[in-house]
Amino acid sequence: MTRPSIPVKPADWVRRIGTAVVVVLVLWSLLGLDIKWERLIDLPADLWRVAVLMFGQMPFDETGTLIAALWESVSIAWLGTMIAAIFAIPLSFLAAENLVGRPIAWSMRQVFNVLRAVPEVILAIALIPIFGLTPMAGVLAIGIGSIGTLGKLFYEIAEGIQPGPIEAVDATGANRLQRLRWGVLPQLLPEYASFVLYRFEVNIRASAVMGLIGAGGIGNDVAQALRFKEFGTAGLGLLIIIVGTIAIDYLSGMVRKRIINGPGATGGSRMAAPAPITA
Amino acid sequence: MTSVVEGAVKKPPPTPRPSSFALLGSLLAVVLTVITAITVEFSFAELIENLTRRNLVVEGLLSPDVSQVWSDRSLRAFIETLQLAILGTATGGVVALPLAMWATDFGNPNTPLRVAVRTLNAVIRSIPDLLWALLFVTAVGIGVLPGLLALFFFSIAVVSKLTADTLDGVDRGPIEAALASGASVPQMLHTAVLPQILPAYSSFLLYGFELNLRASAVLGLVGAGGIGARIEFFRGRGEWSEVWGLVLMFFLVVFIVERVSVSVRRRLI
Repeated sequence: MTRPSIPVKPADWVRRIGTAVVVVLVLWSLLGLDIKWERLIDLPADLWRVAVLMFGQMPFDETGTLIAALWESVSIAWLGTMIAAIFAIPLSFLAAENLVGRPIAWSMRQVFNVLRAVPEVILAIALIPIFGLTPMAGVLAIGIGSIGTLGKLFYEIAEGIQPGPIEAVDATGANRLQRLRWGVLPQLLPEYASFVLYRFEVNIRASAVMGLIGAGGIGNDVAQALRFKEFGTAGLGLLIIIVGTIAIDYLSGMVRKRIINGPGATGGSRMAAPAPITA
Repeated sequence: MTSVVEGAVKKPPPTPRPSSFALLGSLLAVVLTVITAITVEFSFAELIENLTRRNLVVEGLLSPDVSQVWSDRSLRAFIETLQLAILGTATGGVVALPLAMWATDFGNPNTPLRVAVRTLNAVIRSIPDLLWALLFVTAVGIGVLPGLLALFFFSIAVVSKLTADTLDGVDRGPIEAALASGASVPQMLHTAVLPQILPAYSSFLLYGFELNLRASAVLGLVGAGGIGARIEFFRGRGEWSEVWGLVLMFFLVVFIVERVSVSVRRRLI
């Protein structure tokens, strides 16, 4: 006559302890930060005020200048990515365990890890005193910063290479060069190209940001406009950044899909890289 | 027999021609590189000249001053950075979950609303961390609050994107089962979808925390608190040994946090 009872959930102590740790950490941060929380009440009004200032009356005659500035940001990103790729390809071979010994691969990976850990902006503040407030500082910051990520992605690709095609090429009596051309490169190049494009998408955001501290590009214009309280220009610049990055992501994503899936493929079955997130 | 083999040797299969797509793509890449190099006035001579010239930045890097990291102000800045990252990730991550769910077809059957949420996610995602910081510094003034708000939105961007990708691959069976038993959409999401994505979602939160910790280092450069403010302070005075001391210390912290986070994430999935 009793209703069948629902089975009791077994206690998951790892989860409970994990949750407790997280709660304690969040409370510690909440109480520790020197924030006047009552400011949050005014926040919507403040944001609305800034939004009206920025997007209320945009000086559309400056669109041309700002698009040129965006193009400079894109140029910085592209050139930086290319420099990174040129260095990352040979270096990644030195980090692949199937190509060199373990000690060399391990040390090369640590180099990549260190480079990956440094935010581009930190690189840029180090490079600006050397190169002045020029796009070159931005190009090099992106170039150096991307070697780490590209190198890591590249050696993972090199380690995942299939022995089948190489054996097949060997069986036809190919020499070393032919083996490389027909057995190895076709496996590597599409993935490389796809990851370079992906990194380019990420780097556009990075280069837009670096302009904020003076390393050239559209970020420079936005930061200057905000500093001189020309909110309309800043708003227009922001809008151009958003539209520009979304458009380039879309184009680059289509090219990546074509590279990985080959001609005629319609489904996005095998995307090599995820859509970029601001990192 | 021999003639057949000889015939085969004489006529090897034709070498496949490289695809026109690859050729065109490579050509385009080269052209783009040249044009962009002209745009930024890239010059090797300038590069070598600037890098070989004596400069204080590199000298500071070679003799970083770690001692002042233990000063009261720097330690407090480190803790502030850590707290900013924790709170930013926690708040942003919590908001990101519904935003990701409302961007799916099963979580939000209303098409116009779904498109609106997706657009909102895309816009949030397209604004970089430092730009968020600068916007909030403009809106609420210099301090820790704009830093927190910037990390809040940055976390939404990262976590909602990754969670949305996971939601795309979720098993539809439990969803149908829940709906068939008369569950409302929120009930269905809670019982059928959440358990499927919870491990991945927790792992994304940790990943977002790693990113936030790194981002919080630079927030201070535009006046949004944390260790970046200290770095900016020494940079302004041209004391590069102190700058690099802080940067090195910061990387040590990031490195340790990342090790812990990666091992926890591995256990989660």
